[in-house]
Formats: sequence, C-alpha cells, structure tokens
Amino acid sequence: MGTATSAGYGSCVTDMTSLLVLPVAAPVAAAVFAAVCRNRRLNAAVAAAAALAIGACGLLLAVARGSGPVLALGGLLRADALTAVMLVVIGSVGAPAAWAGIGYVDQEVAAGHTTPRRVRLYGVLVPTFLAAMATAVSAANIGVMWAAIEATTIVTAFLVGHRGGRAAVEAAWKYVVICSVGIAVALLGTVLVYFAAVQAGIPASHALDIDTLLAHATALDPAVLRVAAGLMVIGFGAKAGLVPFHTWLADAHSQAPAPVSALMSGVLLAVGFSAVLRVKPVVDLAVGGGYLRTALLVVGLATVAVAALMLLVQRDFKRMLAYSSMENLGVIAVAAAVGTPLAVAALLWQVLAHGMGKTVLFLSAGQIQSAHGSSALAAVHGVLSRSRLVGASFAVGIAVVVAVPPFAIFGSMIAVGRSMTEVGLGWVLAVQGTLMVVAFAALASRTVGMLLGEPEPSAPAITTPRSISLALVIGIAACLALGLSAGLLAGLFRDAGLMLAGVR
Amino acid sequence: MNQDLYTAAMNTAAGTLLLSAVLVVWRRELRAMVMLLACQGVALAALPVVDGIAHASAEVIGVGVAILALRGAILPAVLLRLVARRGPARRGPARRESAPVVGTSLSLLITALLTVTAFAITRPIVLLQATVGSMAVPVSFALILIGIQVMATRRRALSQTVGFLMVDNGITSAAFLLTSGVPLVVELGASLDVLFVTLVLGLLARQVQAHFGDSDVGRLRELRD
Amino acid sequence: MTILAMVAPAAQVVGVLLGAPLVAGVMRQVRARLEGRVGAGVGQPWRDLKKHLRKQSMTPSGTTVVFSLAPAVVAGSALLIAAIVPLVTTFSPLDRIADLFAVVGLLLIGTVAMALGGLDTGTAFGGMGASRGITIAALAEPTILLSVFALSLPAGSSNLGVIVAATAHDPWTVLSVPGALAFVALLTVIVAETGRLPVDNPSTHLELTMIHEAMELEYAGPRLALIEWASAMRLTVLLALLANLFAPWGIAGAGAGVGGFLLAAVLIAAKVAVLALVLGGIEVFVAKLRLFRVPELLAGSFVLALLAVTTSSFFASAVG
Repeated sequence: MGTATSAGYGSCVTDMTSLLVLPVAAPVAAAVFAAVCRNRRLNAAVAAAAALAIGACGLLLAVARGSGPVLALGGLLRADALTAVMLVVIGSVGAPAAWAGIGYVDQEVAAGHTTPRRVRLYGVLVPTFLAAMATAVSAANIGVMWAAIEATTIVTAFLVGHRGGRAAVEAAWKYVVICSVGIAVALLGTVLVYFAAVQAGIPASHALDIDTLLAHATALDPAVLRVAAGLMVIGFGAKAGLVPFHTWLADAHSQAPAPVSALMSGVLLAVGFSAVLRVKPVVDLAVGGGYLRTALLVVGLATVAVAALMLLVQRDFKRMLAYSSMENLGVIAVAAAVGTPLAVAALLWQVLAHGMGKTVLFLSAGQIQSAHGSSALAAVHGVLSRSRLVGASFAVGIAVVVAVPPFAIFGSMIAVGRSMTEVGLGWVLAVQGTLMVVAFAALASRTVGMLLGEPEPSAPAITTPRSISLALVIGIAACLALGLSAGLLAGLFRDAGLMLAGVR
Repeated sequence: MNQDLYTAAMNTAAGTLLLSAVLVVWRRELRAMVMLLACQGVALAALPVVDGIAHASAEVIGVGVAILALRGAILPAVLLRLVARRGPARRGPARRESAPVVGTSLSLLITALLTVTAFAITRPIVLLQATVGSMAVPVSFALILIGIQVMATRRRALSQTVGFLMVDNGITSAAFLLTSGVPLVVELGASLDVLFVTLVLGLLARQVQAHFGDSDVGRLRELRD
Repeated sequence: MTILAMVAPAAQVVGVLLGAPLVAGVMRQVRARLEGRVGAGVGQPWRDLKKHLRKQSMTPSGTTVVFSLAPAVVAGSALLIAAIVPLVTTFSPLDRIADLFAVVGLLLIGTVAMALGGLDTGTAFGGMGASRGITIAALAEPTILLSVFALSLPAGSSNLGVIVAATAHDPWTVLSVPGALAFVALLTVIVAETGRLPVDNPSTHLELTMIHEAMELEYAGPRLALIEWASAMRLTVLLALLANLFAPWGIAGAGAGVGGFLLAAVLIAAKVAVLALVLGGIEVFVAKLRLFRVPELLAGSFVLALLAVTTSSFFASAVG
C-alpha cells in the first residue's frame, strides 16, 4: 500500500472547487441533455460519461486531497476521504450501469414493452439519480444530505416501476412508502441533532454543518443525541436496506430494470449507509463509542441473519441477489460497529468491491431474465453452455459478493475479523461467520444449479447486446483488479478509516 | 403580543394538531380525511405565524405563510384531485376506507396509547427546555406515531399518503417547536421533497388503481418470498 | 354568605324550569327555518306542555310504581343539577355538593330512571329503547367525568364552582391542548346524552332507530309532559355548564351585587341561546348515525377525553 496523501495539494482551492462541483453538475447536465436530445443511445453515453466524471473527480480528490476537508460553493459542498471513496463507488458502478442502459432500452423497445415517453423518462432519471447520490455524499450539511437522500427515493420511484405491470407498480409503491417513512424518521433525528446543537450555543446557520458539529460534539446534550442517533440509524438504515425497514429491498431490486438494480444495490445502499458513517464520529464524541456500536451490531447482525434465512428459501434469482446485498450491507454495518481504523478502511473497500460485483451480477442476471421471461430459479439451467460471457460474469460476481479469494471482499473480511478479535468482539465474529457460511452455501448451490448442467432443449438462447457485453467485460476486469490490489486507493481507505474510526 | 394571548394561540394550534390527528383515525371517508389534513396544515402554519408576530420577525412569518400554502392548500388539493379522479360511477366504496385492517374503536384505543407514549418519551426534552413551544413537542411526537399508525392500519393508497403527510407534519412541527425551524435551505429541501413524494405517491396510486382495479393496497400481494 | 347568594340556586332552578322548553323551541325553530319551513315558533314546546298537562294521565295495565315514579325522578334529578351547578354564581350555599362526580351521578340517576320506566311497560319498544339508552349512557358518563376531570386538574379541585372560578380568573387556560380535546369530547357526549342528532333523532318515531322516544312511548298526559320537560332541562343545564366551563365571562363571583347577578343571569341565558342556535343549525346538516356506529362515536369522544386528562396532567406536572 502506498501513500497518496500530501498536505501540499490542499492549497489549490480553485481546482478543489471544480472537483467538488463537477460530480453534481456533470450528471445534472447529462439529465438536461437527455431531456432535450432525442437520441437515446447518445443520452446513455452522456450519462455514462457523467458517471465517469464523478469517479474521476473522486480519484483526483483522493490524490489531491489535503489533510483536512475541502469546502466549496460557500460551504454547501464538502469533501473528505469518505466523499472521495463514495464518489469513486458512484462512478465505478454508475458508468457501466448507465452504459448498459443502451442495451436494456434497446431490448425493451424491440420487445414492445415500453413507450417513447417512458424511454425518455428513463434517460432523464438515471443521471438525476447519479446527481442526487453525488450531492448526498458531498453535502457539507447533514440537512442537505438528508434532502439529497430523500431525492434519490423520488427519482428511483419511477425507475423501479419502469417495466410496468402489476408487480413493478407494487414494488414501486412499497419502495416509496417504506423508504419515505424511514427517511422521515431520519429527518426527525436530524431535527433533534439541530436542537441539541442550538441548545449548545452553536449559531443556527451552522448548526447542521458536519465540521461545526464535529468541533462542538462534546458540548451536545448526550440524552438528546442518543435519541437522534437511534432515529438516524433506523432512518438512513432504511435506505441502506438494514433491519427493520428492509422489506422494500427485495421487491424493488427484483422488479427494477437490471441497470437500475445494479445502481440501487451497488451504490444507493452504500450512500444510505455513508450517511450513518457521516454522523457516527459526532455521536461517538458526544455520547461515547459504545452506544452506536451496540446499535450497529444489533442492526447489522439482524440484517445478516434475515438475509441468510431468506437466501435459504429463495426461488427467484434476482431476489436472491437482493438478499445478498442485504447480507453485505449487514456485514458492513457490523464492521462499522467494530470501528477500528482498519475495520472502517476494510468496510469501504468492501463497499467498492460489492458495488462492482453487484453491477456485473445484475447486468448478467438481467440478460438471463430477459431470455427466459422470468426470474424463477427453477427454470434456469446451463447458462454457461448457452452464453459464456453471461455465465462467467455471474460466476465472478457471485464469487466477489460471497468473499471468495482473490476478490476484494475476502481481504476486507480478514481485516475486519482481525479487528473484531482485537476489540474483544470474538463472539460477533463467530455469529456472523456462521450466518455467512449459511448465505454462502445457499448462494453457491443455487448458482451452480443455474450455471452448470445441461440446458433443456427448449431453453431459449441468451443474447447479449454489445453495450452490455462491454460493461460486463469491464466490470469483471475491475473486480479482478480491485481484488489483486487496492493500488491508488489504499491510502484513501486508510485515511477514511482513521477519520471515521470510533472512540474507544 | 400579549404573553397570555401568545400562549393561548400556540396551545390552541397544538391542540388542533392533535385533535385533527385523532379525527383522521376516527373518520373513514377519504374526503373528510383530506379535509382534516388541510386543517392540520393550517394549525401547523399557525405555529410559525404566531411566533413570528410575537417576536416581530418577518422571516418566520414568511416561513409560516409558505407552510400554509404547501400543507394547508397545495398538498390537500393534490390529494383531493385523487379522490375526485375516482369518478362519480364509483361513489361508494372507492371514497371510503371500507375495510381497514383494524376497526375504528380499536384504532382509537391504539391512538390513545400512542399519544400517552409520546408524552412519556418526550418528557426529557420538555424538561430540558420548558418554554411554551417545547411544551407542545409531545403533540408533534404523537402526530408522528399516529401517522405511522394510519399508514399501518389503512389499506387505501390515499389513506396511507395522508398518514405519511401526518408523520411529516409532526416532524415539521417538532422542528419548529424545538428550534423555531431548521435552517432555510434544509426547510426548503424538505418541503420540496414532501411535495414530490406526495406527487409520486399520487401517480403510483393511480397506477395501482389501473393495474389492480382498486386503490386498496392490501391487494398488493404479487411479490413475496 | 349574602342573601343574594342564597337566592341564586332558587333563581337557577326557576330559570331552567322556565327556560328549558324555550331552548328546545329555539332549536326546533332554527331547524325549521333552515329547512325552509315557517316553524311553529319558539313557544311551541310550552304550548305542547300545557296541552299534555291538561290531559288525563294513563297508566298501562301491568305496570308498577316504577312506571309512575320514573318521570318524577327524571325531572327531580334534572332540577337538582340545575340547583347545584354554577350557572349564575360560583359562590352558592350548595357549592359544597356541586361536585363533578355528584353531577354525573345525578345525570345517571335520571337516565336509569327513564330506562326503568321504559322497561316496566314490558313492551318491545320500551325494552329496546332502555337497552339502547343504557348502552349510550354507559359510554357517555365516563367521558363527561374524564373531560371535566381534565379541566379540573389545572384548578386542583373537582368542585365545579372552583373550576369555573379558576377559568373565570384566567380565561386563557381553556385555550390549550387539553381544553380543545375536552371541549370536543364534552360536546359529543352532551349530544349523545340528551338524545340529539346524530345519535338520536328527537322528532322521529321510526321504530328501528328511536332511543329516547321508545322509552316514553307508553307515557301520556302530565307524565309525558314531565318527561319532555325534564329532557329539555337536562339539555339546557348541560349546555349552560359547557358554556361556563369554557367561557365563564360575567359569572357572578363572591362579592357581586344585584347588578352582577342580573348580568350573570342575562349572560348565561344568552350563551345557552347561542349554543342552542349553533347546535340546531348543525343538526340540519348531519344525518343520524347507524346505531352500531354510535359506540364508535362515543369511543372516539372517550379517547379525546382520556387524552385531555393525559395532556392536562402532563402540563400540570411539567409546570409544577
């Protein structure tokens, strides 16, 4: 792992401003472009370019970042190590997913499933979704962060229901209702933080700024902050697919178009959880590290347990992937609870790896689904013999998300496990390990059933549009690369870990 | 403004908030529920307006007027359009919450329990800062809990939307009573989000109706494990 | 204790006796006008009473002394309430028994007497009406108890005179969360208790829906007059109590003179008249509830009253 930080770059204020503004401005511009331009392939390419720009800004921020946070736009936007990581995640999932949108829409149009209006809506909403997520991770104010996360719900509502039909409408309805309530709970938490800050004498106009809160964290009323933190974990946890507001996740992921599922599973959940990571240092300083540790442990282990059990009874491969996302997010929450710098760095590594793995998985699953016309596991056999690319992608994706070496999540698991024993949470390691083995068994056996074996003679051929093939190939390459070396990002993860690590 | 009058006006507004919430649980006609929601919006807007007049702050009054426009007029109007859309042909059942999950009497009992709970859990907050405003904070929490109850026990898409907006009214009033409102940029973002969520829920409710032939979201049973 | 204060209860009784039929008349007249009819005039209930009083008293065969005594008990309990509640003055010699629990008990005595009178005839309608009446009373009485109790918490006493005096001293206390809840609860149960719309329709004799009318179906002549009169008095007293609990402006205090008493008497008459006008007006716009929805309505008002007590005790303890 090499060092990539240097205090000297912090003075380049103008450059930093553009690095902060671009991740929000580029997708907004892409959305406007899509609203005007009628060429849907060009629109998708522009959206993918915007996503690439977001990722590039994240990388540049990682390299050019000073020791402290960077502010822009009069203190509205703020970047630190966590922002840089999340921007990289958004970019690396967003670019292939947006690009694969070309193939998805082509197939829908060819099958006559969609109308020109829906196609345009799709073109506008995907970059808007990227913009909302970029805003959420680079907001300097937890109120603005909240509003941006809520905006992702609104934008994705129609993306989830984009395929139309009873099941899609049902999924969209449940998604919006459950996430809106969850996020409303988070708003209440935010309001209570504001109340505590104003009570502590912080001027009202800065009372929700992350830096101000960090600086005055010890002055905040612990009783009020305890309630606020609980509400925020539950509320933002709803967007991260954590228990107890997790029920929307499988429905929405299974009904959304494949590229949207990839975005939601790979990034949106992580963005939701990054909000928890954002407030965690403030809460830890104000009420001590034990409180959020307990809360995250309970929520995280419960999520892993629910996901593992649901995986055991799964008969639908898209829902199976959704529960695997839940399992990963649960593991990430537990790692956040452990809270050592190593554990936090490892969990961010896992966020990135999981995002890439899920992109590959959902895109290949989307092709299997469109070939068979359903996502029932029972009907799908011998994928590998029908399409090498789709089969291989699915296999690689599953290997990534169940933490098989050499892929990145395996390394991250080892690091988190070491941290657990260091802080005396060995029992958590045992419980979580058992649950993960259950999940592994369930996922592996079903995947083997899907990929291997002789296809029935009547089984449809699996075709892959060129755009999706490209996205899959790049995705597989990225998964492998990330597994072999965190490279440029190693220093970034380490800094983020140090910044967000809990108080002992 | 006279201190007594100020206290009385704030208390009346808080009382109306709670009263309208209980009445929403009580009534089953969708139109009546929306009207009660509008009343609740007006009472909610009254909090900043009264506070603004008492402290001679034009900005706070402005926030109050904006809340009045959004929650007292625009959101109820959006919902009323949805009720009206059902058309005269389907007068009876589509306009009523005909088969809630929990009966009215039991719902009211649950409401009472939730309100008592809200009063119990907000005691520390009230004790921390015993002003006229924070004395009404329990009402906000009661509103949130009752809103969640409405979402959980009603089956019409529209009733659930009303429940969601009640939750939001509760949070807004809590923000206001505790701190005279969150910073403007947050308030603006939150209000816009609420407006859009309501519009989205309205559109989805129409799609549910188109696909399932009814706005009874209890029929959404296609997806399960 | 001044002579005036001694006279006050007597004045209240006389006022309620004379005024109650007029209150009923006002409500009917408002309804008639709003429905586009000329109406029989405000004095019509009085004319009805005179007519009934001139008629022969009939006792159905098989009835017992319960049947003959019930009207007197109903009227007597109503008059006793009129004597003890603080209508004109908060400072009367009967003040010590003007307790909230006493008033609710007296109301219940009247209701039970009426139900027994209906049962005693042994007819189907009498029994049906009695059962319905008691069901409603069983739900309504606790609500009255609770909502007045909520109002009594700030005053720190269950004595109605003290509660009204405290409110008169500091009129803003009523405009509060518990106040608003208690007002709606109280108004609902008064409507139920006195058999008005939407719980009962006083002007119908439709078998399936009537409650109060079913119980008095067998009565005729002076006894019927007494029952009609008593039910008007119950309505009047409860409306006057509601007015004084929430808007006790002008009620005569301890040191008031003749002028004060007269003013208080005029004011309470005016308040009751306004309430009667409003209620009569509202009745035009509401339909009678189906009988099995009535418990729902009363459960709602009970919940409101319960919440009023909760919030009231919360505020009392938070301030204190």
